[in-house]
Amino acid sequence: MEKKVYLDNAAATPVRKEVIEEMMPFFDAEFGNPSTVYDMGSRIKAVVDVQRAKVAELIGARPEEIIFTSGGTEANNLAIKGIAFAHRKKGNHIIVAATEHHSVLNSARFFERLDYEVTFLKVDEYGLVDPQRIRELIRPETILVSIAYASNEIGTIQPISEIAEVCKNKGVFFHTDGVATVGNIPVDVKQLGVDLLSLSGIPLEAPKGTGALYFRKGLRLMPLLHGGIQESGRRGGTENVPGIVGLGKAAELTLQELPQKMRHVKVLRDKLVSGVIESIESVKLTGHPETRLPGHASFCVQAIEGEALVFMLSSEGIYVNTGSACASKALKTSPVLLAIGIPPELAQGSIVFTLDVTNTEEDIDYVLEKLPFVVGRLRSMSPLWGKKETAQASS
Amino acid sequence: MKFVKDIKADDTLDLVCRMCPLHLLEPGEKLACMKEGQVLEVLTDYDGALEDIPSWCEKCGQEFIGIEEDEDCYKLYIRKKKGNGDGKESISG
Amino acid sequence: MYSEEVMKHFAQPKNVGEIKDADGIGEAGNPVCGDMMSFYIKVKDGRLEDVKYKTFGCVAAIAVSSKVSELVKGKTLEEAKALSKKAVAEALGGLPKEKMHCSNLGAEALGKAIADYEARHGGMPLAEQTEKQFEVTLGCCDCSTENPPQAKFCMSCGKELKK
Repeated sequence: MEKKVYLDNAAATPVRKEVIEEMMPFFDAEFGNPSTVYDMGSRIKAVVDVQRAKVAELIGARPEEIIFTSGGTEANNLAIKGIAFAHRKKGNHIIVAATEHHSVLNSARFFERLDYEVTFLKVDEYGLVDPQRIRELIRPETILVSIAYASNEIGTIQPISEIAEVCKNKGVFFHTDGVATVGNIPVDVKQLGVDLLSLSGIPLEAPKGTGALYFRKGLRLMPLLHGGIQESGRRGGTENVPGIVGLGKAAELTLQELPQKMRHVKVLRDKLVSGVIESIESVKLTGHPETRLPGHASFCVQAIEGEALVFMLSSEGIYVNTGSACASKALKTSPVLLAIGIPPELAQGSIVFTLDVTNTEEDIDYVLEKLPFVVGRLRSMSPLWGKKETAQASS
Repeated sequence: MKFVKDIKADDTLDLVCRMCPLHLLEPGEKLACMKEGQVLEVLTDYDGALEDIPSWCEKCGQEFIGIEEDEDCYKLYIRKKKGNGDGKESISG
Repeated sequence: MYSEEVMKHFAQPKNVGEIKDADGIGEAGNPVCGDMMSFYIKVKDGRLEDVKYKTFGCVAAIAVSSKVSELVKGKTLEEAKALSKKAVAEALGGLPKEKMHCSNLGAEALGKAIADYEARHGGMPLAEQTEKQFEVTLGCCDCSTENPPQAKFCMSCGKELKK
């Protein structure tokens, strides 16, 4: 059997067996609609409430502070648009980091077309924002700051508690996109002090199309989906019961297993990083070297292009990602890499590894065996290798 | 439409940004947990509530005190007339 | 995403390399945009005796370079000059819409190599004359048109140019 090493867990994960088993009855035997008045419905409503409590427990929230969504993108949209529309009378200035996911950036850009102003906050060479700079940028019209807890592209973890403190003191709502963190590191919304947090089922090994938005109790939010009474009128539409059950089960398992997962992936990741740096010249580790997600490694490889690298690795059974999928399909250089000061031609050689608990040391050894060979092959074809452009990339 | 001012409320229900039929469901749930004589303040920006809530109060035997217009929403006041506040009773008649 | 023929040329690209004493050299693309090709040709009796290239770019770019070299090796200069981006894409079994510019790049780089050869036979090598020119034009990432360095928008497709 061909060897397969899957290291793109930020994009997709296989749904856990226990999660699938938990979901199955809700496709046929227990198919009721939670909004119906008879027992078939009220029973399902009770099930949904139990899942809500499980997701809340994972992030230190109250059950009534959870809105189930179709994923991280919807949660981000709901956070940005929900706050901006609901609090227009208070102000019309929004601050987001220049490195946010497209679902945050484009939601913010949408408001530039209305009578709102958006500040795209610069980051440093590691992708970190400066809480002091946020304090300076907040003005009387500022209503919302949105900074992702961590980046799926470069792994850097932001100083969320400090930023939350700044926002609280200034009376401004603070949202964090927690998609890269919930399921990968411990997240406690009360300790962090955030007003809103988005999460996705994918890092939890729940089905795609599941997620949630945490919103601090008492926060006014304009719904995106106006409809019936689902999610207390904050997100209309008949609930995706099997998906919600899957998310709840995955959250429950994650709560129990997270410390072990973190230890496991960190060891493998560290081996991968030192192996890559040692065996391949002119390669740069992107993101913060220490304050980063434990299972995340990202590099820029001089003189080769990311898509070619990904395809060549996949022909060896190794599945990784290159920069931002949205960017690469649109033929744009990753805005995140440009924002941290990576020169555009080096940014083309972006490669991102996101590990999971199913990865083994054998997987890493296999990657360290094949990667230098693949890089060498692409560099032998490249007009940029071996000439003036081979100035040190890893500084 | 009965307009009032400076009513002291025992609890507040914020329904701003949320629409029909929450404005008829949530007050009931909230009142079920309150004692007789206590006042619930309902905040809403939904115009339909101005007619619906007073009618609902009449139908369910609760006292509709009045409305105050605030900067960004309406404030509607309901005094609980019946029930023991254990959360188990049916408020909606 | 890619046809079998594209993947074949990507996995086993033909004619990769440089020709040290090339009769013509042509370069197209821009590493800033993510695709760059350098073509080297050897000409004998009006035919392309040898064609080699180096490519920095995606799967499509590598496959296009390989296919272009395969299509023109042994052909006359006129036949090679007539190679269109459409013909390259068709020979590869089609390219995704967003990758069509790679086939443009291949035809362009080859065309420049031939132009360099012809210039050398009519005077100073084009590669020398235009080496400076390559440094001072601004390539469009969408349609690969070389624009004047001070241009803000592409004179061919109108897209905003990146410096």
